[in-house]
Amino acid sequence: VTGLAEAGIGAQRVDFIAVPTRDREQAARFYGETLGLQKNPNSTERWIEFETGNVTLALVTPEEIGKEFAPLPFGTIAIRVPDLDEAKARLRQAGVEFEGETWDSGVCNGAIFKDPDGNGLLLHHRYAPYRDGTQP
Amino acid sequence: LTLAIERVDYIRVPARDIEEAKHFYGEILGLRQNPKSPADDWVEYEAANVTLAVMTPHTHDYEFTPLPPGTIALRVADVAAARAELEAAGVPVNDMWDSGVCHGAGFRDPSGNPILLHHRYAPYGRREDA
Repeated sequence: VTGLAEAGIGAQRVDFIAVPTRDREQAARFYGETLGLQKNPNSTERWIEFETGNVTLALVTPEEIGKEFAPLPFGTIAIRVPDLDEAKARLRQAGVEFEGETWDSGVCNGAIFKDPDGNGLLLHHRYAPYRDGTQP
Repeated sequence: LTLAIERVDYIRVPARDIEEAKHFYGEILGLRQNPKSPADDWVEYEAANVTLAVMTPHTHDYEFTPLPPGTIALRVADVAAARAELEAAGVPVNDMWDSGVCHGAGFRDPSGNPILLHHRYAPYGRREDA
């Protein structure tokens, strides 16, 4: 395992990020079709996972286990796309609304949006190399 | 329609107090701080496959809201051992559960963000509602 300190609890990786939903079918369509993520073939009817390349997104339904639904806060998941303007245009065509204009931090662009359950997402593209010259 | 999504660059972890959060993620959880972290109020930690961006909403013009329950499932080799280490460090951890394919135990960071210690012990192909 690389990149982890010796101290602490021996965390190895993030197995999944839980994405809460009140409507699993609608969420599955959004992540699978609108965002175009690959569905993990080990998914079951009641546990659906999508792969982003480096980390798994798992749809969870808190209300089915008697817990209160609360969405992911503002901009929780930063989704890397190669062309932010194009990705934004395609999502708009699919009816997704963005909050505010695309921002430019000086090293990256970001565009804030939500999934149908109100979970905070953003399209993200870092265009500048890091200070040591390496590319993102 | 395809966005050509490449990866998740980071997961934003909201904090009320950045110093308290840095101690927790860096020292107690033992995650490596990204030396390229851009600012004092945006500190990145590496969890091997994804970056956790620990940041303070109140210095980014919005209000703090914690992550919902169990958002981040942190893989450990042994949930019971990791739970014991956290408890020894003064972090309360819920009882460990067993779904039939994996172990889990939930705790909260100092800002109240719920995190799950997670270890899947069963092979895939007989995944129940983990």
